[in-house]
Amino acid sequence: MARSTRWIAPVAVIAIIVLIAVFWFVGQRNALVTLEVEVDAAWSEVDNQLKRRSDLIPNLVATVQGFAQQEQEVFGDIADARARLAGAQTVGETAESYNELQGALSRLLVVVENYPELRSNENFIRLQDELAGTENRLAVARGRYNDTVRRFNTKIRVFPTNMVANGLGLTEREYFEISESDREVPQVDFSSDG
Amino acid sequence: MMRRRRSLVVLAFLTVAAGLLWAQQLPKPIGSVNDFANIISADTEQQMEQIIAAVREQTPAEIAVVTVQSMSPYATIEEYGIALADAWKVGSSSDDAGVILILALSEREVRIEVGYGLEGAIPDGKVGAILDNYVVPDLRDGNYGAGLLNGVAAVALEIADEYGVTLTSVEVAPQPTRGDDGFDLGNLVYVIFILIAFGGRMFFWPLLFAGRRRGFYGGGFGAGMSGRSGGSGFSGFGGGGFGGGGASRGF
Repeated sequence: MARSTRWIAPVAVIAIIVLIAVFWFVGQRNALVTLEVEVDAAWSEVDNQLKRRSDLIPNLVATVQGFAQQEQEVFGDIADARARLAGAQTVGETAESYNELQGALSRLLVVVENYPELRSNENFIRLQDELAGTENRLAVARGRYNDTVRRFNTKIRVFPTNMVANGLGLTEREYFEISESDREVPQVDFSSDG
Repeated sequence: MMRRRRSLVVLAFLTVAAGLLWAQQLPKPIGSVNDFANIISADTEQQMEQIIAAVREQTPAEIAVVTVQSMSPYATIEEYGIALADAWKVGSSSDDAGVILILALSEREVRIEVGYGLEGAIPDGKVGAILDNYVVPDLRDGNYGAGLLNGVAAVALEIADEYGVTLTSVEVAPQPTRGDDGFDLGNLVYVIFILIAFGGRMFFWPLLFAGRRRGFYGGGFGAGMSGRSGGSGFSGFGGGGFGGGGASRGF
């Protein structure tokens, strides 16, 4: 009797270990899938804000054109960069065209400095606020996206979750990097005319 | 593999440590009006609280006012604003209808941070106009309380408009101060307080407070008052989300 039940204990232990491993695997798998969905959601918010900003630009350009028709070069640059941003497919492409557009916008705002009547134009101030607000939202969305990507990339790389990630065929996601030099949009200073 | 893993652990540790360090730089809310820089008179603060309380009673929205000596270590008021908004979560979690007025005294910056739910009602352009017309002129004159009160009143009117209500308990009438030379600043906001309506409530606030559930959204108010009287008992905001909407100005 005692002899015949001896095998139960090791089998039970093995069964429990296997069960724990399965639970762990399923748990990790679900966590990874959830995190991947979060990455996509965070990206769609970035995308939203990029679109929103793209939509604002024609209005801003039209307002500036009303005061400064002769600055055709910068208007052309903005239109080109905006078209490229609309056609961007990957995170990298988006970041690159974003940087281009940012550069062109900076030049536009430098141009604006030369037109005091434009700077005090109500419509322009409002558009400038909308643009600044969208920039800020974009910065927030970008921060959240990169944060989620960092968590995701860390998780799929570290042992032992990397085994689960390999099983699922998950690969690292791309950060949304912006170039530091173009990061600061020159602020139009409204305070000097008050 | 080992090496990479260790560097990741170190990185994670540093991130957490930096996060904690930064989080510690953010003040904790003590009520609707958080005058940490001590630049708002008790009277003005009370007027703000009345407007904010009326908004909270009649709409799903919440307004908070914050003044700080300095926003360091944050580089910009936008970064400070979103960090504070993420930490405080002003507004209900279902509506995300929160607004925070933030003033950093030594940096001479003011910002109105608008929650997701109010971005349509108070777009950035409108926030900028509110700051230009109602807030900044007073701030330039050093009348911080008056400027912020104007801002609170203007925001309250926009919120009331959005939810189709008239703020009954409080009459709010912010007036543009642009072009004024600063002599009649005390009269710029007319807050007519219905003493009977509010008197009873104020009396009962301390009693109501004892049995309040967590989070003052949706049930009574008065956290602002308790904040003023010592900072204890403030049960926090409703969990509203922010995405960086709003506008900022230097003054």
